[in-house]
Amino acid sequence: MATTLEPAPDLAPAIDRVGRRLAAALPSGRTPKALAERALMGRLMDDPALRAAIFRFVDVRPACRDERDVARHLGELLAQAEGSALGQRGARMATRRTTRAATAGVAALGVRGMAHRFIVGEDAASSVPGVEKLWRSGAAATVDLLGETTVTEAEADSYAARCAETLRTLQAAAARWPSQPLLERDAAGPIPRVNLSVKVSALTPHLHPNDPERGIAGAADRLRGLLRVARDTGAHLHVDMESFDTREAITELTLRLLSEPEFRAGPSAGIVLQGYLVESPDHLERLLDWAQARDAEQPFTIRLVKGAYWDHEMIEAARHGWSSPVIDGRRACDRNYEALSRRLIDATATGKVRAAIASHNLRSIAHAAAYADARGADIEFQVLRGLGDDTLKALVADGRRVRCYCPLGDIVAGMSYLVRRLLENTSNDSFLSAQASGADIDTLLEAP
Amino acid sequence: MSITPFMNEPALELRRAEVRARATAALEALDARLPLDVPVLIGADERAGEAFDSVDPAQPSRVVARVQGASAAQADEAVRVATAAQPAWAERTHHERAEIVRRAAALLRSRRLEAAALALRECGKPWAEADADVGEAIDFLEYYALSAAALDDGRPLLQMPGERNALRYVGRGVAAVIAPWNFPLAIPTGMVSAALVTGNAVVLKPAEQSPACGDLIVRTLHDAGVPRDVLHLLPGGDEPGRALVAHPLVHTIAFTGSCAAGLSILSEAAKVGPEQGHLKKVVAEMGGKNCIIVDADADLDDAVPGILKSAFAFAGQKCSAASRVLVHEAIADELVARLKGAVDTLVVGPPEAFGTDVPPVIDPEAQERIARYTQLGGTPAATVDVPEEGFYAAPALFVDLPKDSPVVTDEIFGPVLSVERVRDVDHGLQEMERSRFALTGGLYSRSPATIAAVERRAPVGNLYVNQPCTGAMVGRQPFGGGRLSGTGPKAGGPDYLLQFVEARSVSEDTVRHGVLG
Ligand SMILES: Cc1cc2nc3c(=O)[nH]c(=O)nc-3n(C[C@H](O)[C@H](O)[C@H](O)COP(=O)(O)OP(=O)(O)OC[C@H]3O[C@@H](n4cnc5c(N)ncnc54)[C@H](O)[C@@H]3O)c2cc1C
Repeated sequence: MATTLEPAPDLAPAIDRVGRRLAAALPSGRTPKALAERALMGRLMDDPALRAAIFRFVDVRPACRDERDVARHLGELLAQAEGSALGQRGARMATRRTTRAATAGVAALGVRGMAHRFIVGEDAASSVPGVEKLWRSGAAATVDLLGETTVTEAEADSYAARCAETLRTLQAAAARWPSQPLLERDAAGPIPRVNLSVKVSALTPHLHPNDPERGIAGAADRLRGLLRVARDTGAHLHVDMESFDTREAITELTLRLLSEPEFRAGPSAGIVLQGYLVESPDHLERLLDWAQARDAEQPFTIRLVKGAYWDHEMIEAARHGWSSPVIDGRRACDRNYEALSRRLIDATATGKVRAAIASHNLRSIAHAAAYADARGADIEFQVLRGLGDDTLKALVADGRRVRCYCPLGDIVAGMSYLVRRLLENTSNDSFLSAQASGADIDTLLEAP
Repeated sequence: MSITPFMNEPALELRRAEVRARATAALEALDARLPLDVPVLIGADERAGEAFDSVDPAQPSRVVARVQGASAAQADEAVRVATAAQPAWAERTHHERAEIVRRAAALLRSRRLEAAALALRECGKPWAEADADVGEAIDFLEYYALSAAALDDGRPLLQMPGERNALRYVGRGVAAVIAPWNFPLAIPTGMVSAALVTGNAVVLKPAEQSPACGDLIVRTLHDAGVPRDVLHLLPGGDEPGRALVAHPLVHTIAFTGSCAAGLSILSEAAKVGPEQGHLKKVVAEMGGKNCIIVDADADLDDAVPGILKSAFAFAGQKCSAASRVLVHEAIADELVARLKGAVDTLVVGPPEAFGTDVPPVIDPEAQERIARYTQLGGTPAATVDVPEEGFYAAPALFVDLPKDSPVVTDEIFGPVLSVERVRDVDHGLQEMERSRFALTGGLYSRSPATIAAVERRAPVGNLYVNQPCTGAMVGRQPFGGGRLSGTGPKAGGPDYLLQFVEARSVSEDTVRHGVLG
């Protein structure tokens, strides 16, 4: 559909209206904790050397044996932040004997605190209260299990077992939750209460960029097993998208398994489309064609994101001398996201596809909401726990269907996730940091 | 010498299906042409010699090339023709020669997939590695062309009134290049082009196992404009190699290969025969027994895949490959458990399969040597089954072997890795220090102070921090080690060409009857 690639000028007033309404509904963020955090984030954005040092510390913190080791790493990393006065002061505090223990303690607590902001619980059972609280507040969740990189079959088995256990634990708990009509049914039919996001890279050590079939063969049985558990517990299973190296294997595997006859009746399932990919428009067409042709009882959900590996993809491509697979330029990326949103929302009319708009960007959200409203389409919004909490509240207040992506796992496993989220939150290119640094609403809602 | 505009040749983007399809098509096209004919090339003449076959290590019944092995007499003839041709070649400017070498880079780039396919078939190199081999060959050509052009300017010297001082670099004479099979395109191309571009005539003796790759390089350089009598090809085994090393008219011997062969070349080349009016210079890159130190604060999510790649890619047949892991005892059990599980996932198979981790080794001798060492190590902690046909060697992981086990001390040049516990990084450095080799080394740590200390103290020529210890890139990681790992040139680095030239200093008195000229 070529028309969806055109800008939609008539949509502008509606986008503005929805955007302002959502902005007005954002919590004020004036709690002392929120203010302190905002100040810290602001400081990190203005001080790249300190930012790098802090992230390196967050990354190594779980590998430190004791307080002394924590202090040593903190001191060394901060000392490397040359030109950062704050960094140098911190380095002295971390190395001086009198202040060492206290500094290490605070730093360790700080990392723990940050981690808990993003992570809903350590395991399935401990995540239930957080997920239930969300549900009662009017928002659904999708749970994601954090873990180490899978390099062995045993690790893949254990990840799959944890996923299955999480599905069962959540299913048992969810049966007791009150009804939330908006979250449990849309134009395409009933929506499962329990929703799990899985990473194919955790389901096999065989994902190989040059041989998608090897990864597919390696992960197929475990993913099939999880699809069965999801089907039998009536849950939704969502396959996350990862780096470009693995995209072909993940997509191909997911579509192949969902085409198997045993999954005709269910479970409800979905995949992710990364709008930062240069070839994402073609990729969306491929997914839509497949969903259209598929003989299944439940619609296929496409979660539209921008993509979490932008820096990685740029660096990787530059190192090898390849043209970048991701769009270079924030505005171009956001424009593409809007075009994809329109195409995806149009496609929901067939009832074979569900659209999930996953973003914290008020403009991207308002655009999708206004377009869906204009088309009479019933869509879902998604945010990340810890990053999109305010956005989530605003969307709930606006009467929209929202789902919160909730990672669970221990702090060791959570580190790379945490660092990625922190980087995102303090990147000069991110909507959230523009918002945090107090850009006015006209700027925030500007067409890309 | 400043080398600004150099960029590495982009790797093939094999993660894209259409690129893989093109690669496979190139291999099919090559297969249809096999076996190739590789003659002895002296000047413009193709000569016959003692015939032998170069075969596909994954499927030995497939003959890749029918080869004419050169004799000692042919080696002598090649050196004499080269000697006669060298002065005219040296007369040209570095710039002129650099232009020719750069043209060779362009030609090789245009035959890129074909060249990679040949390295794949002749040496069992998996696609990504074979492609990197071609890319590195192109890089050497471009990089040395740029470096040579800079040599024309000589070096700045102190100038006094009435005095003109200059330092120029000139070719040394005839260079004999004796090359290995494990980088069948990159390494010979690097040594040959460095010698050529600086004004030397060259006789190339490629490895017995990779003559067709050697032939491709020589023809590419001829096609680019290197005069036929300036570059010669002597396929074969020991005979032409020995003859070259002993030849009184050879000035420079550039060698990459085993430590034993390197030592024998060094001592042979030190002899000055009656017909010889100069000292021979030997540029040697030899073996390694490379260690990776893993500190307690390492990120094992990075370390495990990094170690796996360093030790088992191309079946460990790189002088830079890791063969020892020295792990901090605090995390040793966890690392060993994960490494064992990771070794179990290795896919051993033919090089044309895009998912192959470990291809066959080069020949039955290598297979036997590796099997012998594996036996000496006892029962491996992890190993993998291998296909029946083809020269496969089973990847093996050993843990906690005694310090004097040959698996720990000798260069095996195969997919064998030993893990040893150390008390701390310092202890790991002491182990590294004890080794007779000093080629590459690795470190996984997240402490800036530890990284700085290892950087200062590790004796190796190439240290890799938080990444695999193989895959040096031209212009980025100049490559070469010390101790018994070689004479210390840094291939792909800013000083490499100096190995192939003589420096001549000229000083002219420009004062005539008290007038400054
Ligand atoms: C519920 C949920 C699930 C998610 N699941 C996945 C997943 O499975 N896979 C995945 O990859 N990501 C996933 N993400 C993360 C997502 O891709 C984004 O990283 C994140 O949401 C930030 O985008 P934004 O629209 O919220 O913010 P914005 O600030 O509007 O956009 C930031 C994004 O823009 C892109 N960008 C940044 N700089 C540039 C530039 N210079 N040029 C072009 N583009 C640039 C990057 O993608 C960056 O993440 C998910 C996000 C959510 C909310």
